[in-house]
Amino acid sequence: MTRQEIIQELKSILISADEKNRPLVEGCTEQTNLMDTFGFSSVGILYLVIAIEETFQIRFENTTVTDFETLGSVVDYIEAKLK
Amino acid sequence: MKQKRNKSPLFSLETLFFDFVKLTAIPGLLWFRPKLIYENAEAKKKLRGGALIISNHVGFSDPVVLMMAIWYRRLRFICTKEFFQSKWSRPFFRGFLCIPIDRDRFGVDSFHEITDHLRRGQTVTIFPEGGVHTDPGSVGSFKSGMVLMAAQGGVPIVPVCLKRRKHFYNRTRIAIGAPVMTAAEGGGRLPLSKIQEITTQLHDREEALRELI
Repeated sequence: MTRQEIIQELKSILISADEKNRPLVEGCTEQTNLMDTFGFSSVGILYLVIAIEETFQIRFENTTVTDFETLGSVVDYIEAKLK
Repeated sequence: MKQKRNKSPLFSLETLFFDFVKLTAIPGLLWFRPKLIYENAEAKKKLRGGALIISNHVGFSDPVVLMMAIWYRRLRFICTKEFFQSKWSRPFFRGFLCIPIDRDRFGVDSFHEITDHLRRGQTVTIFPEGGVHTDPGSVGSFKSGMVLMAAQGGVPIVPVCLKRRKHFYNRTRIAIGAPVMTAAEGGGRLPLSKIQEITTQLHDREEALRELI
């Protein structure tokens, strides 16, 4: 799976988390801060973690909700797990 | 869909300390047994299979009182990791089947541990106010992570409300509500707005239970 495909999947997850995110998702890049841009609380980040685990069939380990500040940091983690 | 029941073994090393203390403490527990008030007939049914019990937190004896109220199940409590930092307290809290969490930097591993227990048909108890709430006239605001835990574990949430005792010799009054299912229709994920909505509903239920006691 390429980096771009991972980002596309993540964008779908962000929209499924909250339909209001749709306009924000279109303009987001790897530098987008998840907490600031989407207003995610720790529960929001946890929601993303669960959705990512189910979508990519991976399991997050030794991580906390504050480890994923930007979209790029999430993509890095998924890429490393998929290798 | 009928929930799959996983029966916990009658005896296991993991639960040995918990069961031993519970058995030896029976005389004391009987003396301080709580007065139970059920919301309706559904709430009166014994809990079977996995369940996430949520309760308001009025004092440090709440876990013991809850263990007495739902005596027929081994309740696992989610508590702050500070309780696990001393070499003396760690085995004690682990023996009591507590699950440590970091309130400031919530770890994904803690979340997995909780949902794994729920999926195995065990009961986990959480105080969604996040700490002891000292105002006896209200229930503090709830954190919504519990809804995510229950939905992910595929178990119902059982709301319970405790009333602080006036004197140590009074019996604690506990209101037990009917279980609330949180899983999304069709088995999909709940959107965040729905999670927040269920959290608000559960808080309202808790306030309604408080009126019963």
